[in-house]
Amino acid sequence: MTPPAEHARRILVVEDEPHLAAGVVENLRAEGYEVDSVADGRRALEWLQRQSCGLVLLDVMLPEVDGFTVCRTLRERGDNTPVLFLTARGDPADRVRGLEAGGDDYLAKPFHLQELLLRVRAILRRWDWYQSASAAAGLLRFGGNEVDFRAFRARAWNGMTQELTEKEAMILKVLAERPGEIVSREDLLERVWGYDVFPSTRTVDNFILRLRKRFERDPADPRHFLTVWGVGYRFMTEDET
Amino acid sequence: MKAPRLFQLTALALVLVSAVEVGWWLLDQHRFAVDKVREMHEVYEQQVVAAQALLDAKVPAAYVHGLLPSVIVTNQHAALSPQVDRQLIAEEQRHIAQYAWEGSFFIIALAACIAVIARALRAEARVIQEQESFLALVSHQFKTPLASLQLSLETMAMRPLSPEHVRALIDRMLSDLARMERMVTQILESMRLDRGRIELRSEPVDLGGAVARVIAGCAERAAKERITVSADIERGLQVRADPLALDVILRNLLENALAAVAPVGGGTIAFSARQAAGGEVELTVRDSGVGFRTGDAARLFQKFTRLHPGGGSSHYGTGLGLYIVRRLMQLAGGRVSAQSAGAGQGASFVLTWPAGASRPDAAPGAADALEPPARGEHS
Repeated sequence: MTPPAEHARRILVVEDEPHLAAGVVENLRAEGYEVDSVADGRRALEWLQRQSCGLVLLDVMLPEVDGFTVCRTLRERGDNTPVLFLTARGDPADRVRGLEAGGDDYLAKPFHLQELLLRVRAILRRWDWYQSASAAAGLLRFGGNEVDFRAFRARAWNGMTQELTEKEAMILKVLAERPGEIVSREDLLERVWGYDVFPSTRTVDNFILRLRKRFERDPADPRHFLTVWGVGYRFMTEDET
Repeated sequence: MKAPRLFQLTALALVLVSAVEVGWWLLDQHRFAVDKVREMHEVYEQQVVAAQALLDAKVPAAYVHGLLPSVIVTNQHAALSPQVDRQLIAEEQRHIAQYAWEGSFFIIALAACIAVIARALRAEARVIQEQESFLALVSHQFKTPLASLQLSLETMAMRPLSPEHVRALIDRMLSDLARMERMVTQILESMRLDRGRIELRSEPVDLGGAVARVIAGCAERAAKERITVSADIERGLQVRADPLALDVILRNLLENALAAVAPVGGGTIAFSARQAAGGEVELTVRDSGVGFRTGDAARLFQKFTRLHPGGGSSHYGTGLGLYIVRRLMQLAGGRVSAQSAGAGQGASFVLTWPAGASRPDAAPGAADALEPPARGEHS
């Protein structure tokens, strides 16, 4: 389930520590967000099945079902609601686990209130952009592929249906907005992730490889997702040859 | 590498070299003994040859034997005395046996040294690993109240707040600080227990009085969390324990129960004690809190176990409280167990002290109690 536009400013806080939950909820409300909170993973999944929101603030160490599992379950359901992990374990391995589970960002406890609010704003802004851009141009056709940005789904040139992850769809959207132009890796990182969530721009390369596998007839000899050495990528809607 | 470890490794290397040297020395001594006996044998053989030459030169046999006592003469034929031969063999064996004994002693001593050093090195590596994981866990536990404190303070710094809101934030911060203080106390207690630094006294302690003191200490917190704490303990019931350790045990049990009841929005905690058959004293702490899955009963008492039974009970725990309870009960010769019908069903903890200090007249099994009867009117 993808959040409808009217729920874009609604946030679900999933935190089992009562003081932290109360503090975060109060501050987000003071910023004008509509906020709900639950104290364990199972209730979070139940809530998200019934309702929708623009962002989930998700603690990792939760009773019943842990945060990573909640996020993974959400993605398996096809729910692309952005997730910001909050956790006391700040080591890089944990961070990577969170992002692999489908999280959008990761904030280690104890955190600065300002930083939390900035990140929330950044995630919602990127999401806003994606949604309004998808509303304006919901379909993309290139080389026999057809991508539906709103449904996060595509039909590839070989007739296969492809379910896109939120990040794949966002990268494709950024590239499709500027067909034929060079888009730098940093630009992609900034537009899709916001800032240095990932250790390197190599992550972008991995996502491009995934897009090539989905949409190129010969991923080893790409016609649409072209690498511009040392700079970034160029997206071509039609074959150059 | 740290200096002591370098020292241990150097000592280990020296001892290993010494062991090899002792082995080589043993082999050398064996060879030396064999060589020496062979040389002596050759000298005696030369004497036999000389004696035979004298005999052949018609020197009288008696004179030859007088000159060379190791040689015996029969029918003008010289030969080595069998007694000398036996002596030589005995000499060789004595020599070898002496070094075999001495050598084995050294080898055993050196092997013992190697074992001691290797053991120390292994133990040290384990201690370092335990300390590292302990530190990682402890710092992780502190991050939650720290995050809450920081959030409250930054909220106060950033926003204009009503006096009521400020008051609520201050209460929240005080509670976070109290939580951190409890964590520090528990960490220090468990560290002292791990190092075996605690020396426990063993004296009769009035159980009812100890329970009442601990309940009074937590009364304010219990009231705030809407938890009723009650005690039903027979007057004069005693256990044989260290009064301070008993306090720590009861306080940790009560805090554990408070943490279990608070997330369900209040409830009850009941202490009850009785004298069991055989003179043992049994104290039961029953709470109406979040409970735990039946299979988790044993894990509860392990270090850093914090179960998540469904109500967010992780709020107050360090994962050390019940570990401390179990260690102290073990040191006092008692035991502790936990039961719960399942998540959300409450839990009960049963502590059992061995017979010895309880009212000796209360049960026949307690007749050998060391203390005089506290009250003698019951039969």
